[in-house]
Amino acid sequence: MTSPPTAADDDLVIEAVDVGMTFGTVRALDSVSLAVPRGSVLALLGHNGAGKTTLVGVLTTALAPTTGRASVAGFDVRRRPAEVRRRIGLTGQYATVDGRLSGRDNLLLLAGLLGAGRRAARTRADELLDLFDLGHVADRPARGYSGGLRRRLDLAASLVGRPEVVFLDEPTTGLDPVSRLGLWEIVEGLVAGGTTVLLTTQYLDEADRLADAITVLSGGSVVAHGTPAELKARVGRRTVTVVLDGPAGADSGGDRGSDFDRAADALRRAGLAPVTGREGAALVVPIEATRDIAAVVRALDGVGVEAAELTFGEPGLDDVYLALAHHPDSLHNLDNLDGPEGPKR
Amino acid sequence: MTTTLETGRPPRTPTATAPTWRGSSRLTQIRILTGRSLRALVTDPAVLLFGLLQPVITLVVLSQVFSRMGLPPHFPPDVTYLDFVLPAVLVDNAVQSAVQSGVGLVEDLQNGIVARLRCLPVAPSSLLVARSLTTLVRAAVQAVIILTLGTLVLGYDPRGGAGAVAASIGLTLFMSWALGWLFIAAAAWLRRAEPIQNLAIIAVLPLMFASSAYVPTADLPDWLAAVAHVNPLTYAIDSTRALALGLPGTGTAVPALLLGTAVAAIGAWLAVTGFRRPLTPR
Repeated sequence: MTSPPTAADDDLVIEAVDVGMTFGTVRALDSVSLAVPRGSVLALLGHNGAGKTTLVGVLTTALAPTTGRASVAGFDVRRRPAEVRRRIGLTGQYATVDGRLSGRDNLLLLAGLLGAGRRAARTRADELLDLFDLGHVADRPARGYSGGLRRRLDLAASLVGRPEVVFLDEPTTGLDPVSRLGLWEIVEGLVAGGTTVLLTTQYLDEADRLADAITVLSGGSVVAHGTPAELKARVGRRTVTVVLDGPAGADSGGDRGSDFDRAADALRRAGLAPVTGREGAALVVPIEATRDIAAVVRALDGVGVEAAELTFGEPGLDDVYLALAHHPDSLHNLDNLDGPEGPKR
Repeated sequence: MTTTLETGRPPRTPTATAPTWRGSSRLTQIRILTGRSLRALVTDPAVLLFGLLQPVITLVVLSQVFSRMGLPPHFPPDVTYLDFVLPAVLVDNAVQSAVQSGVGLVEDLQNGIVARLRCLPVAPSSLLVARSLTTLVRAAVQAVIILTLGTLVLGYDPRGGAGAVAASIGLTLFMSWALGWLFIAAAAWLRRAEPIQNLAIIAVLPLMFASSAYVPTADLPDWLAAVAHVNPLTYAIDSTRALALGLPGTGTAVPALLLGTAVAAIGAWLAVTGFRRPLTPR
């Protein structure tokens, strides 16, 4: 702590320190701290009620935190909310456009409120309509838009002022897969242009694909933080799954049970710890290194067992999520998961 | 990584880049937001149609039905029932417009535009002021319809002269604007349309009848006359009528204006405090 602040420290665009938020007797956020460097994407992962939207509310100046402090784009959210608002964009869980106005008029309205002149507002609206492929519906009332179109308009609306920080609160909830993919590409484009993004999501693949760092929230507290790879490494295990041939006992010259047992024995002799998976149809073998894949194949070959299917599984964020986000007091589960049955590193 | 942040680092000088636009003035915000809600009134055919029909129906029904009942003993001399009731219809219209400003704000709260404005550099009161100005414009258009229809078709004869008629219209518009703040406040606190419409039916309708709107207060039953005497709407109606018809009693404009100012001030304060409360997700 004696070292001077580094350049990286100074380029934090979002910073929250011990932010607490209480609604009546409900503790929605409990001493949440986070730091997001410029140009990166942080995913807030958590279930409904984990505190994601409340935290976004604090960071976007809609809610004043009960305790702690937060700054966005270099300004304290409580003391300089107007400066923060000039530099952020928010796309919430619900559409925040005026359904009676056309897509174009919504964008013009916001540009005007942000202080754009008539011509600058027109130019910006055209740019965004183009960028989000909304040109064909630009002059129709927004309430007639499909879910995907409305979400795109909503995102366009939050980008009117070219914000340096964009908050996306569950941006793809309720979207079909194609619209979802389109939205991801838009977010990736934003980040490529230097925008800092904080997104909340319940979807692991979304966090995995978009985020540089993931903060897992549960019960209003941070229960884990790290890069997607780090979180996976801490929680998940890589496995090889061996599916054995044919239905149970159907093969000539011996029942499948013995095939299964011979394979399991051979794997144990090779120093591996297979467990039965897929309702008895497969052996799941946790491995520590890629060379263990070869060991699995050698062991099967040694006893003459032919695998119908051999798959390699990377640990998923599902493991992180299931392990941590269900339990409000699961901070210690990280250690437990690396316990006796976990890989020895 | 987050633990390093908890130490007391000196506050950093903001390294933020300049925003594209610096935000707009309060006046610009109000102008843009008023334009937006007015546009909503005009572009929705149903809203437009009902908005235009409502004063017409009120005027025709009241003047045609009640004029058949004969005039009560304390009715002002040389005044037709239409002349008597038209200023009251103007005030009734002003009250209905006031209710609409509350309903309009509820719509804003529900359609997400408020959530959007909350994270923009826009003063929350700008939207409220825009709502109250929308009411004013709406009430003015309806007043013109009522006057035109009354004068050209039904035979309304405002003998007070052009200036006095203009003053009477100004007074009703002021009342509409002032009462609008009460309904904006109700919307800011209740945030649902039903209770506001109920409020309009159980509070506003009786207040219109327990006033000098349709019958001179002297012809009301004693207890109702007592209510009418403390009913602020009576002052608004009496002064509007006195101005338009050139009758005595224009002095009631003073308490009407004072009451309106008080209502607007209290309503605006309540509206701002209610509007400030956090939005809850639907």
